[in-house]
Amino acid sequence: MRRGSELPSRTHGLLHLGALLAAVAVALSFPSMAPSPYEITVGIAILNYAVLSTSWNFVGGFTGYISLGHGAFAGLGAYGTGLLTAKAELPPFVALFVAAALVAVLAVPVGYAALRVRGASFVIVSIALVLIMLLVFQSWASLTGGSRGLVVPRPFPGMLRAEHHRTFYFLFLALLATALLSWWVIDRSRFGMGLKAIREDEDKAQSLGTPTYTYKLVVFVVSAAFTALAGGLYALWFGDLDPVFQFSILSGAYMVLMALLGGVRHLYGPLLGAVAVGYALEYAKVEYGDTPLHLVVAGLLLFVVVMFMPDGVIPAAGALLARFRRTGETSIREVTAAELRGRREQDDGTEVRGSERTTRGA
Amino acid sequence: MPSLSLVFQSVVLGVLLGGLYALLAAGLTLYFGVMRVVMIAHSAFLILAAYLAWYAHRETGIDPLLTLVVTVPLFFAAGVAIQRLLLTRLRPATLTMMSVLLTFSVALVIEGLLGYAFSGTQRRIRLGYSSASIEFFGARVAVVKLIAFGMAALALLGLYVLMKHSRFGQALRATIQHREAAQLLGIDTDRIAGYGFGLGLATAAVGGTALSLDTTIYPSLHWHWIGPLMAIIVVGGLGSVPGAAIAAMTLGMLQSLLQLELSTTWAQTVFYVALFATLAVRPQGFFGGRLAQRF
Amino acid sequence: MSAPQEAPEPEREPEPSLATAGLTKSFGGVTALDSATVAFHHGKVNALIGPNGSGKTTFFNCVTGMIRPDAGRVTYRGRDLTGSPPHRIARAGVGRSFQLCRVFPRMTVLENLLAAVRPGSLAGQLARAGGRAETERARGWLTRMGIEHLERAEARQLSWGQQKLLELAGVLMSEPELILLDEPAGGVNPALIDRICDLVRELNAEGRTFLIVEHNMDMVMSLSDHVVVFDRGRPIAQGPPSVIQSDERVLGAYLGV
Repeated sequence: MRRGSELPSRTHGLLHLGALLAAVAVALSFPSMAPSPYEITVGIAILNYAVLSTSWNFVGGFTGYISLGHGAFAGLGAYGTGLLTAKAELPPFVALFVAAALVAVLAVPVGYAALRVRGASFVIVSIALVLIMLLVFQSWASLTGGSRGLVVPRPFPGMLRAEHHRTFYFLFLALLATALLSWWVIDRSRFGMGLKAIREDEDKAQSLGTPTYTYKLVVFVVSAAFTALAGGLYALWFGDLDPVFQFSILSGAYMVLMALLGGVRHLYGPLLGAVAVGYALEYAKVEYGDTPLHLVVAGLLLFVVVMFMPDGVIPAAGALLARFRRTGETSIREVTAAELRGRREQDDGTEVRGSERTTRGA
Repeated sequence: MPSLSLVFQSVVLGVLLGGLYALLAAGLTLYFGVMRVVMIAHSAFLILAAYLAWYAHRETGIDPLLTLVVTVPLFFAAGVAIQRLLLTRLRPATLTMMSVLLTFSVALVIEGLLGYAFSGTQRRIRLGYSSASIEFFGARVAVVKLIAFGMAALALLGLYVLMKHSRFGQALRATIQHREAAQLLGIDTDRIAGYGFGLGLATAAVGGTALSLDTTIYPSLHWHWIGPLMAIIVVGGLGSVPGAAIAAMTLGMLQSLLQLELSTTWAQTVFYVALFATLAVRPQGFFGGRLAQRF
Repeated sequence: MSAPQEAPEPEREPEPSLATAGLTKSFGGVTALDSATVAFHHGKVNALIGPNGSGKTTFFNCVTGMIRPDAGRVTYRGRDLTGSPPHRIARAGVGRSFQLCRVFPRMTVLENLLAAVRPGSLAGQLARAGGRAETERARGWLTRMGIEHLERAEARQLSWGQQKLLELAGVLMSEPELILLDEPAGGVNPALIDRICDLVRELNAEGRTFLIVEHNMDMVMSLSDHVVVFDRGRPIAQGPPSVIQSDERVLGAYLGV
């Protein structure tokens, strides 16, 4: 039982606050402790992954709809920022927000098509979105530069490389903080409660009066906007865009993998997953270069997570901890033997009803 | 305006291409019908079959068509195994979403292993009849394209006969239409679903071999197939095999005709335009039954 | 056990609650609802009975917007609800339970109720879920159902009967005037059936209208004021329980004559 661990909530809150402050302190002091600019770029890459998977988790975590196409929103944010800076000569950070707003607007018709029906069509649309964008941005070379790439002007022309990285480290950190804060606000809100009800049982949520379609659409747009901001910031930092990398189905898959690995129901789940997977990715890039085997590893990792811990490591670790801590189960709450038996039967019952729900057409 | 003979040529090519799309989309929609699963790895298996045909030809010089003897039963067994060993272990409540991720991970592994084993180089089979073509009412059609179409048409016909006229086919259709009702009729729907999955994957074996005859292959090619195929099954109505076949022929033809005026890549967007239009106007697809309505 | 009754109503034409006209729905070749025209009574306990496959659940799904009828109209107290999405119908004051009781399995019992709160404004949407007032209201319903001690348990850990009560509490939390119950006694032990019957009587006395689909005839006959019998997708008889019990057509429908 999740809340069975009866730590007094005050102590719990203080512990939580302490851990949060420690994490913030480490994150803030990291650039000054890093031995070389290279470590900072690794930090930026991980922060970028963390923002992306946290953004993804607005849809995936709250509603349970799995998008494999969020790479498209990141790519659009990146190209939007790049093109608005390079071609329309907007100031870089104005371009960033304009691009994110445009992506949010585009997400409305996409969500309209994808969210009207349940599950399967949403996944199909999400994958299709990446594939279309890849086609368009490769073919429309006169605007996007095609596969020759697009060079994005540097936002701070006078700045040295190390300083550039340091600055962007903090920009990414600020964006991550904003995304996490927004997720937290929604998580505890009534809106968030409605979204979670959709994740649990969409028909039921709707029959209780939740306008499920509007809810899904709103959170989808919010998610797309944050993803686009991360993509745009990446464009300003990295300075060079290629459609194959920007609109890669793999980048969307990484977002899913990170969020799922950490735990989609938790605020820090995607962040944790991003630190683990992002670090591994950067490490593998240095040690082994670009081999097709990283696909195999990513695939196997996703496979293991889906099959064996679909709720992520946070609940898995929590369950493990609880097993150690649970010395006298009966002391937690008065539970009669009959109730326990009922529960065990109930667990089986849940499975049966679930299958009926997914297969029942009407 | 392109000349009439060019248009005719495109129509013929469109039909030939549509046949292959139809076979593969039938497989993809079959998985959905029996399990409510969007099988992302379908096209990865397609490319795997093509690689196996290419590899067997390179190593032994045998005709790639002969590999069917091995790949069809092999893929059928793999399909049954995926359904029985993997998909049935997922929580029913989240099956649709989690199965997408599961099959996606399988696709990644296949793509990665192909890249590792054969490198990312583009491969192509050279056969004695590779460059042969025949005249068909003024249209020039490569023989290998005709063979590929013939294989797809035969396989599709076989699938049709199996589903319409065998006891197994009846059970399969009953399972697709109403699983609980099928169970009440004494049908072992789990086993039937496994075989349905095997059949779907067998279409990928046939399709992959056909594909290897006239197409340059590389490990990440499957992404170019899964998009159009998924669009086709949505347009046709998820779970509807005839719907998938009709949508495949129509869209294949459209793509071929659009190539007269546009580049190959732009012509491919027709699938996605059709996908979005369908979802916006008629989310259950154009030939889907009640099954498609809530997905 | 019974709550104080309101002053007895004078004999007059019952005010219509939920009503349908020519409601039709078919799946493939099977006609589940065949031009069903029926009206239920406001302020009463109505029951809908009929043999398996007679279209009761399809009727429920059509009037709550879960599926779209092929033809016909649905009205609630004179307001046209045909083709409205489920959440609009819920907001018009029609709540429902599901045949195989459905709760949000991985939410706590309390959250199950809080998820039924329907904020109006944007500020209300972003306000923290589980404010004092709504939590008090939720606890009130849980206490009334007798499951307040399980407030922090996850819903999936509850027994079947407790889940049934939780589902009812959730529906009540959404403040419906009319409550549709799909087989409330299904899979429930006799003691709990009595409890549910008492609750229905009490809630009805407080002014809520009920429409119940149920196979348990004892429950239907003892509880309801007005019974409608479905066969093959349309009503074949309606009236007070005493009349229905002796109706030949009803017996025929059940015995398959």
